[in-house]
Amino acid sequence: MRALGVAGMLALASASLAAQGVMVAPHAVFIDHRLRSGSVLLYNPGTAPVEVAISTLFGYPTTDSAGKIALDTLLADSSRSALSWIQAFPRRLTVGPRERQTVRLLARPPAGLSDGEYWLRLVIAAQAGSVPITGVADTTAIQVGLKLEVRTIIGVNYRKGPVNTGVALSGVTARIVGDSLVTRSTLKRIGNAAFIGTIRETLVDSTGAAITQRAGDSLVATYASPVGVYFTMQPRLASAIPQPGLKRGRYWLRYEVVAEREDLDPTVVLKAPAVRDSVQLVIP
Amino acid sequence: MTHMKRESWVLIGAMLLGVPLSLAGQGKPLTVTGVRGVTFGAVLPGVPRVVLRTDPANSGQFDIKGPKGGPVLLSFVLPLRMTGPAGALMPIAFGSSDAGFSATQSIGSQVGFDPKQPTTVIFPNNGNVSVFVGATANPGTNQRAGAYTATIILTVTYL
Repeated sequence: MRALGVAGMLALASASLAAQGVMVAPHAVFIDHRLRSGSVLLYNPGTAPVEVAISTLFGYPTTDSAGKIALDTLLADSSRSALSWIQAFPRRLTVGPRERQTVRLLARPPAGLSDGEYWLRLVIAAQAGSVPITGVADTTAIQVGLKLEVRTIIGVNYRKGPVNTGVALSGVTARIVGDSLVTRSTLKRIGNAAFIGTIRETLVDSTGAAITQRAGDSLVATYASPVGVYFTMQPRLASAIPQPGLKRGRYWLRYEVVAEREDLDPTVVLKAPAVRDSVQLVIP
Repeated sequence: MTHMKRESWVLIGAMLLGVPLSLAGQGKPLTVTGVRGVTFGAVLPGVPRVVLRTDPANSGQFDIKGPKGGPVLLSFVLPLRMTGPAGALMPIAFGSSDAGFSATQSIGSQVGFDPKQPTTVIFPNNGNVSVFVGATANPGTNQRAGAYTATIILTVTYL
């Protein structure tokens, strides 16, 4: 009944937060078997301390039945998991304002580990700040405080001995859905390491001229999408065709998968031959 | 020559931003920041309060900075209810377009997505993006007065 009594006006606390978070560098870790260690630097650019919890999990990108990217954290493929033998220290830390701290990764691989690449994901959870709850003593009001938490998950790839990779491409399809070019393909990794690369799509008309596609706020002749193939995946890509769209006629989609990534240091991207296919698209 | 020029700009940028040089030298960083929580303002018992993701004052905001062309998977852990005094609960709901992604960090230029479904985005040329969140608080008709809290978790997975 008291709640009814307060039914009039329920003032809520403003939830304006001082921006808080943590910078993680690098965004992908590659550990060589000869060194068996790595590190990640955390930097707090904010004005308040950030509580950070470090954990690890085994997971890799895959696709669901609709072709959407997801992180598969099931342990079905644990032969490639480094979860049990790579540890991160410390597990909990506080990063002060404008301070940096180092998280160290120490590998103790089992004896007789086969050559190849092994994977782990590092989870950096930061309490991003909490809303000050004021006026709690005022029992006539409801105060709502929302906390934000951010988690950053980066990949850790451990490489032992000769590592090689590649990708097999099959089943490329293309169709127009609404104002978008939608493609699917099957990508199967070859070798003993993940294929880190980029899918490039170019749509050309019957004269060979490239059709402009929209990538974010940019117009491009070739749509590029970074990809990591750890086992097999069937990515669905969609890029918008700017108005007035495609005229009636025949088009060709040139589909290419290359071992290049603009966001990664070239020295960590394993070389592999490019694979290509093309499919016809008819607009009736 | 071009390579040296780019390195010089990175160095100058890092100095201007106050980033420790040893950190800048470790590789390209990834930063996820909670900027602003969802603010519901005044709520009446029994009357849902909707905050749109396009609300510049009340929507939640996360800023993310990463390397150009880098792919990340965005996923949320969303609360079903907020916890209040003596264990009292207030339901909170998130609709299928209650999250928005902006490649320009402009709240007026968002692509909506379902916060219950993971979404892949690629960092634009300047590496800065924002994610906005709206929600609906559903106070009961006899909602107990006091303080209610909940946590929204954004997970950014580098792919």
